[in-house]
Amino acid sequence: MKLKKREVQEINTGSMADIAFLLLIFFLVSTTILQEKGVSLKLPPEPEDQEIAEIHDRNMYKILVNSSNQYLIEDQRRDNLIGLREEVKAFVMNNSIDPTLSVSPEKATISIKTSRGTDYKYFIAVLDEVKEAYYEIYGARVGMSSEDYRALDLDKPVERDLISRGKDGIPMNISIAQPEKTL
Amino acid sequence: MIRKKTRAKAEISTASLPDIVFLLLFFFMVSATIKPMNDQVKLTTPKAQAMTKINRKELIREIIIGKPINREVGDQEVISVDNRVIKKEQLTQWVMEQKETLPENLKDQMIIVIKADEYVKMGLVDDVQEELKKANARKVVYRTTPKL
Repeated sequence: MKLKKREVQEINTGSMADIAFLLLIFFLVSTTILQEKGVSLKLPPEPEDQEIAEIHDRNMYKILVNSSNQYLIEDQRRDNLIGLREEVKAFVMNNSIDPTLSVSPEKATISIKTSRGTDYKYFIAVLDEVKEAYYEIYGARVGMSSEDYRALDLDKPVERDLISRGKDGIPMNISIAQPEKTL
Repeated sequence: MIRKKTRAKAEISTASLPDIVFLLLFFFMVSATIKPMNDQVKLTTPKAQAMTKINRKELIREIIIGKPINREVGDQEVISVDNRVIKKEQLTQWVMEQKETLPENLKDQMIIVIKADEYVKMGLVDDVQEELKKANARKVVYRTTPKL
C-alpha cells in the first residue's frame, strides 16, 4: 500500500480582519456608552422635621407653572423662559442693591411651584434654567464657563477645590413646593 | 552620473491587522455597558442643559414614569422599577429594599434617577417624590437628554 502524502492544509486567514471589522462595527453602532447624566436636586426632608423657614418676600423668587403650562414669574404672566436665566442671576447676586431683589446670595431662594396638571417637561425647563443660572455664577467666579464648571470632577482634589470655591457662600436654594391640589 | 535606483516595492504587512482589530473589538465589548431594559414604559426624556455627571454608579437606582407600552394595561401613566410596574404605595417598600442592597455607610447616599416622559403630569412625579421623602431617599436626579 502506498502512503498518501497529504499536503498540510492551511486556513486562509485573509478574511479574518474583515470578520473582525464587521463585529467591531456592529458593537460600535449598537452600544451606547451609558452615561448617567441629569439634572440633580435634593428633596426637602419630611415636614415633621423640617423647620418652617420664614422667607422674606424679597428673598424669594417665585416661579409658578399652571396646568396649562403657563408661567407666572414674580407675578408676571410669561409665555416663555427667555431671559429667566439673567433675571435669576441678577436676583441672586443682588447683594441688597435693588430693594426688590434678594438681600444676599445666601438668603436668595428660588421657588418653583407646579400644578398637578403641569407637564413634567415644563418643570424640567424651569429647573434647568435656574440651575444653569447658578452654574454660570459659580463658573464665573472661578473663571470658566458653566459647561466647564459642570464637568468638574469631585473625585479630583484640584477640581473639587474649584467646585467649592465657585459655590462658596452661594448655596443653590431651590425649593420645589408641593403643587396645589386644586388649581 | 545619476543612476536610477531600482527599489524593491515596500509592502506593509497586514498579518497583524486582525489582532489589532480584535483588540479594539474586545475593548468595546468590555467597556460598553448594556442599557438597562425597559419594555414597560414609553419614554422620551425632556431636554436640559444644566446636567451633571453622577460619579458613583453603584448608588444609582432608577424609577421610570410614563405611559405603558402595552395598551392592555391601560392608558394611565405608570411607575416602573426594575422593569416591572408597581403602584406608588409600593414605592417606599421598594426604596427600603434597594437600600438593603447597599453597604451600611452608603445607605443614605442612594441616588434615585427619575426617568420620566416629558408629558407626564407633575402630580404623579410629585407623588413619587413624596414617597421618596418618606423613605428618606432624597437625592434625586432627573434624567434628561442634552440640548443641542
